[in-house]
Amino acid sequence: MNWSYFSSPSTFYRLAGWLSPWFFALAAILTAVGLYYGFVVAPTDAQQGEVYRVIFIHVPAAWMSMFIYFVMAAYSAASLTFNTRLGAMMARALAPTGALFTFVALWTGAFWGRPTWGTYWAWDARMTSELVLLFLYFGFIALANAFEDPRRGDRAAALLALIGLVNLPIIYFSVHWWNTLHQGSTVKLTGTSMHVAMLTGMLLMAFAFWMYSIGAALTRVRSIILERERRARWARSL
Amino acid sequence: MNHGFYLWMSYGATAIAIAIEIATLAAGRARARRLIEEERDLEAQD
Repeated sequence: MNWSYFSSPSTFYRLAGWLSPWFFALAAILTAVGLYYGFVVAPTDAQQGEVYRVIFIHVPAAWMSMFIYFVMAAYSAASLTFNTRLGAMMARALAPTGALFTFVALWTGAFWGRPTWGTYWAWDARMTSELVLLFLYFGFIALANAFEDPRRGDRAAALLALIGLVNLPIIYFSVHWWNTLHQGSTVKLTGTSMHVAMLTGMLLMAFAFWMYSIGAALTRVRSIILERERRARWARSL
Repeated sequence: MNHGFYLWMSYGATAIAIAIEIATLAAGRARARRLIEEERDLEAQD
């Protein structure tokens, strides 16, 4: 397969338009099944009661906040290294969705923390580094839009994205490196102590958020492509 | 202990945040379309 064919904005515009509804549909189906598992199949937690059900959005949102940042930084690196237009556009398209999931992770964490820890917020290493991630997303979006020439904005934002990558291992390992209020990872590559129904619900919601993120990024990148390519004949003939 | 408030605040805010993002996606699409229309008008004038 000739992958460079899809790196052309005009080709990718059409491909993204064809793919995005499928990703949104998958996200909707997975959300419905995930919420069914989360609220109907999964049992009540013996210690936390019903409030633990925040886990079905909190953990997937936190995973997506880090994963989207990683992908955004990878696109940024590709755009800087190979001077690809589409890479920079994809990085821009991912940033708002990444910020959204970071906000959701922080917000739901606060409303889970209040009944279980007795506080909405603590300047704990995990929470603080996740807040830094939100500011990195905001910084990326602000920097990308701060220049008259969008290509200069792309480069400046890409640099910030790459510098900010250092925050991802800090978020992930913060619960090991420091004595934090936030608990350690329940799901590891080596296994989990979670009830199978709880784990299933959480993983279904993680896939739902993943599919939604792809759908949202593809939809947004189409608008970015149209704006940037509006003087091209193919765009005007749409 | 009633945990309904915390669950509603979590799930409700998430639903609102996603609804806002979908609305901004639609607004971005409409803006891009408008810019294309403007380009077409400029081309027609030339």
